[in-house]
Amino acid sequence: MSVFKIALRSIQHRGFGSWLTIISMALGVMMVVAVLSIHGLVSQSFKNNNSFGYNVLVGARGGGLQLTMNTVYYLSSPVENVPYEYYLAFVDRETRQRELRNSFAWQGMQHEIHSRQLTAAAAPGGGGLAAVMTGRLAEFAFESQQTVALGTDLSGLYHRYTDVAVPLCMGDYYVDEKTGAAFRCAGTKPNFFTDLVLDVESEEKFQFSQGRCFQEHSAEHGFYECVIGAMVAKRCGLQLGDTIKPTHGDPNSANAHIHESPFTIVGIVDATGTPNDRVVFLNIEGFYLMTDHNKPIDEERVLKTSNDDAVEGNAEAESAGIEVDPFADDDETDDVEIKEDKTGQGSAADTKVAEAKPAGVVADKASAKPLGSLTQLPIEQREVTSILVRTSKNDEYSVLSMFLPAQINEGDLETTLDWSTYRPERAQKAAQAVNPVEQVTSLFQLFVDPVRWLLLALTCMICVVSALSILVGIYNSMNQRQHEIAVMRALGASRTKVMMIMLSEAILLALAGGLLGWFSGHVLNAGLSPWVESQTGVPISFFDFAPGIPLGYFPLAASLPADWLNLAISPELMLIPALMLLAVLVGIYPAISAYRTDVSQALGK
Amino acid sequence: MLKLENIKKSFLQPDRQVVPILDIPHFEIARGEQVVLIGPSGCGKTTMLHTIAGITKPDAGQVFLDGIELTRFSEAARDRIRADKLGYVFQTFNLLPGFSALENVVLGMTFASKKIAPLRARQLLEQVGLGHRLHNKPAAMSVGEQQRVAVARSLANQPALLLADEPTANVDPRNQQQIVDLIKHSCQSENIALLLVTHSMEVAEQFDRIVKLEELNLVVSRLKTGSVTSQAGT
Repeated sequence: MSVFKIALRSIQHRGFGSWLTIISMALGVMMVVAVLSIHGLVSQSFKNNNSFGYNVLVGARGGGLQLTMNTVYYLSSPVENVPYEYYLAFVDRETRQRELRNSFAWQGMQHEIHSRQLTAAAAPGGGGLAAVMTGRLAEFAFESQQTVALGTDLSGLYHRYTDVAVPLCMGDYYVDEKTGAAFRCAGTKPNFFTDLVLDVESEEKFQFSQGRCFQEHSAEHGFYECVIGAMVAKRCGLQLGDTIKPTHGDPNSANAHIHESPFTIVGIVDATGTPNDRVVFLNIEGFYLMTDHNKPIDEERVLKTSNDDAVEGNAEAESAGIEVDPFADDDETDDVEIKEDKTGQGSAADTKVAEAKPAGVVADKASAKPLGSLTQLPIEQREVTSILVRTSKNDEYSVLSMFLPAQINEGDLETTLDWSTYRPERAQKAAQAVNPVEQVTSLFQLFVDPVRWLLLALTCMICVVSALSILVGIYNSMNQRQHEIAVMRALGASRTKVMMIMLSEAILLALAGGLLGWFSGHVLNAGLSPWVESQTGVPISFFDFAPGIPLGYFPLAASLPADWLNLAISPELMLIPALMLLAVLVGIYPAISAYRTDVSQALGK
Repeated sequence: MLKLENIKKSFLQPDRQVVPILDIPHFEIARGEQVVLIGPSGCGKTTMLHTIAGITKPDAGQVFLDGIELTRFSEAARDRIRADKLGYVFQTFNLLPGFSALENVVLGMTFASKKIAPLRARQLLEQVGLGHRLHNKPAAMSVGEQQRVAVARSLANQPALLLADEPTANVDPRNQQQIVDLIKHSCQSENIALLLVTHSMEVAEQFDRIVKLEELNLVVSRLKTGSVTSQAGT
């Protein structure tokens, strides 16, 4: 009969007392497991996402941590927005030109040019060469002046320091009708998936397990395409082709309402192990077209620019026998275009004017449009929650890139809005730039790490108390046990043997308590998962272990082979051996007591 | 087989007074011999058994067991010798309550250095009439049954000497005879020497050799023929 079997029989014999000891131990271990795994997994989730492919976050001035939590981890209460024009400060000349053409300012300038052309054409004797030349020179001068004012011929102010810039718009949620689970929606551009990397070192990019990335405009779904994170797909059972309607604002608030515009799911992002897994990514152009996503502007000014000028110009042109599309696209905008209205929905000018109307009207009209409409929200009416910027790695600019956040925080960005005459108050919106890594690091240093050590210290104390319960349990039974020990000694058991039996008993109690506590800890994790997820965004299942700690962090790591130092071991795996060691320590006293038992005396009892 | 030479043992009382308890000039038991030890309470019978078993070390003198001088060895070695060469039956049976009858017998074999097939434990219990109670815990057994388990346990290691410390003191007269018969016959059949302590003359009379341990610490021996001799001088 082995020493462990003898110890096991002894434990069984003390039934109730043994169970109390085991349960006491299990409660301690359960707490430790829950703390280690919940804290570890949440911390790991934050740290994993710390290697995202951008190093500067630009958003509204305020708490940098809140901006980081909001736009990187999709947590915390929403932050203020900043004008879309700030985003244009990071893009190249072509992108900037393309984007600015979708602005009232650009369109106003085009109207002015057209008006002057038409006025010149309609003037008496306007057909003379000298008059045409004079008119043309005046137009060029005006256009040059406006172009300089808008900055359309320039790259963004910070473009040279920027490798990637991605706008992000927050504030909407997707609430699954079946499960009631709410997921954040983020309006963004396709380059979120094509240009950003998941891990800076490996340059790993987002992968789509199904489908593709949304397009800014597709023939099939217009602006209303979206892709969903792996967890959203799994939890809500969503598939490609399904449509979703985002909810405006916090779904728990009374002001929340469901948008009418349905977005079609065209892609499901492969699981990344980051908060991106629980996000619905909407095409930013569709996002802006939803109710309440267009900001009110100086309507009179717009109407004057877009409507009156157009009507006036058109009237003059028509009187001269010319058909005019004042919002003729891109390359031909310098010239008067003579063509038919091909949209079949009235002139583009009418549409643009309609969009300049107060928010609800515009959005209603926009959302009422058939999918596939090319109408986009003018940039003066756009805002972004944040801009994710990866600064340039180019040797020429990489050093200067380091000063980008400082420049933005000094107020440089606001100067880019001087031309925005339609919403002058936008220039008041101060921006800030933060380094998300620094924010997360400071969060850990100031709060998370101390809390972790406090929790670990508390749970270790719980473990020690639990281990002491083993000592108390065994010690209390020593009176009765001494007689048993004496009998075993009389039967030939050595002092060492009875000592081993006592230690084995302590180890078995610790093992039973440890395993029960470990199991209970994971059951507790699974039970707390909805709450933890709601607070931190990190889901935890029964099978999630506390993240591993590299061996290099442990004392005496220097004596290990170098290859082993990065080998990570979950503290949970060390928990039970540590408990057994603790049990041996607390079991030593009863064991020594057993060792010293006076057999003659104990047999006489 | 067993020989005690000039054994002296004293105990220190709480009042620092030294009380001599054993003074045995010479005592011997031959292989297979069955001896009864009698004497008044407190005369040192149990101490004598403990000394023979190596549990208590004498202040002076030598104990020879199966040719080995027990008193010369360390405690750990004495434990080993005890496990291999001695069987012990207690007055209160001292079965471990958490163990079944079979496990109690196997436990007796656990500490021996020689390998004995566990099957012997079952056979012994069947021999003592407890084949049907193998897996019962002591609490579920009668006093007589418990003592029979204790006897089986003491025989498990095929000892050279069986020490029985008042094995019938706690059993009724019917069971008393059964226990005595069991011990006698078992020792006889396996050629085991027996030293049985008892207060019962009825039990003592059933053995060929009765040894009286006087309070004067002299061992006197009376053979069944009626002669009484002082062991001190022999």
